[in-house]
Amino acid sequence: MRTLALAGILLTAPHAFAHHSFGAEYDSAKPMTLTGVVTRIEWSNPHVYIYIDVKGSDGQLINWALEGHPPNTLRRTGWTRAALKESDTITVTGWMSKDGSNRIAGREVTLPDGKKLFLGPPAQ
Amino acid sequence: MKIASLLLAALFPLCILAQVKAPAGKIRRDAGGKPDLSGIWQGIGVSLFGETGEVRPGEGRASTWGPPPGPAPYQDWAVSKVKQLAADDRNDPNVECRMAGTPRVTGIPVPFEIAQTAKKTYILYESNHIYRIIPTDGRPHPPELDPTYMGDSIGSWDGDTFVVDVTGFNDKTWLPGAGHFHSEDLHVVERYSLQPNDTILYEATMEDPKVFSKPWQYRLILRHPPRDERIMEAECQENNQDLQHIVPGR
Repeated sequence: MRTLALAGILLTAPHAFAHHSFGAEYDSAKPMTLTGVVTRIEWSNPHVYIYIDVKGSDGQLINWALEGHPPNTLRRTGWTRAALKESDTITVTGWMSKDGSNRIAGREVTLPDGKKLFLGPPAQ
Repeated sequence: MKIASLLLAALFPLCILAQVKAPAGKIRRDAGGKPDLSGIWQGIGVSLFGETGEVRPGEGRASTWGPPPGPAPYQDWAVSKVKQLAADDRNDPNVECRMAGTPRVTGIPVPFEIAQTAKKTYILYESNHIYRIIPTDGRPHPPELDPTYMGDSIGSWDGDTFVVDVTGFNDKTWLPGAGHFHSEDLHVVERYSLQPNDTILYEATMEDPKVFSKPWQYRLILRHPPRDERIMEAECQENNQDLQHIVPGR
């Protein structure tokens, strides 16, 4: 019954991913902030992915995938495709994947010029 | 004076009732005098509610209306199946980019367009390129429908409310809510009520005698997106990575 009640609340969540529930893939208890260099941008459905190289404490580069809203939603919330390009250095907040892969649900991106844009919904 | 006071006292509750039921002002109407539902609409979603996606109390931007629907009234045998399905999002047909079904599609957080004509009303959804063609010329559902994701729709008017009767579903979609499966006996009645403030009060009543113990309602307030919008392409299959990364359990 608890599951059903929770589902009832989520019926009309105004800031969800359109494609899958947040908790299916990301851990709201594990917020993260990453700074890295953009290596690839997939302006695609059902999600946009931005890939960044992040330097670890041992100096090794790790490539992270940042998942966001679909392109149409990002256009409607202020993004353009020209907002970001490969080799840009960005900082992103988000939440860690549950499966241990180097993926996060991106929330807010700080662009090289300091402008901040939301990439995905808040944790649920 | 006394009579006037009594009359005022008698009419006062009616005035209050009228205010609750129908906000002041006129609604848009088509050439035939029916409320004109044409336009771009959305029930929920970040692009509708702002970048933060927050709905703050007192802003008058609730996403739902009417009494809370309560938990879906599944029959006892079906409750465990709902829990089982909800425990693994890979079961969600939406994650596979399938059509969302009726009425779940109304709450997918992307816009859709209603195009109302004299004999048919069309609904064009950005989600998965879904379209619905709803005859309003009095014809019944076709006999012996083949089951489909969105069902077969026929429309009529109940006063100023557009009523859509939907039947002929397959059992491959979910209703709103995690794990909310249904059978091919699902029957949905949607009611679209245009308001003077140019919102639509949307209500879908779902009946399914094979899985529900009683009808269940799903309600949304449909709004125009804040800017002039158009429905855009969104090919869900092109880069669907999520099935590989979803972890069972909630």
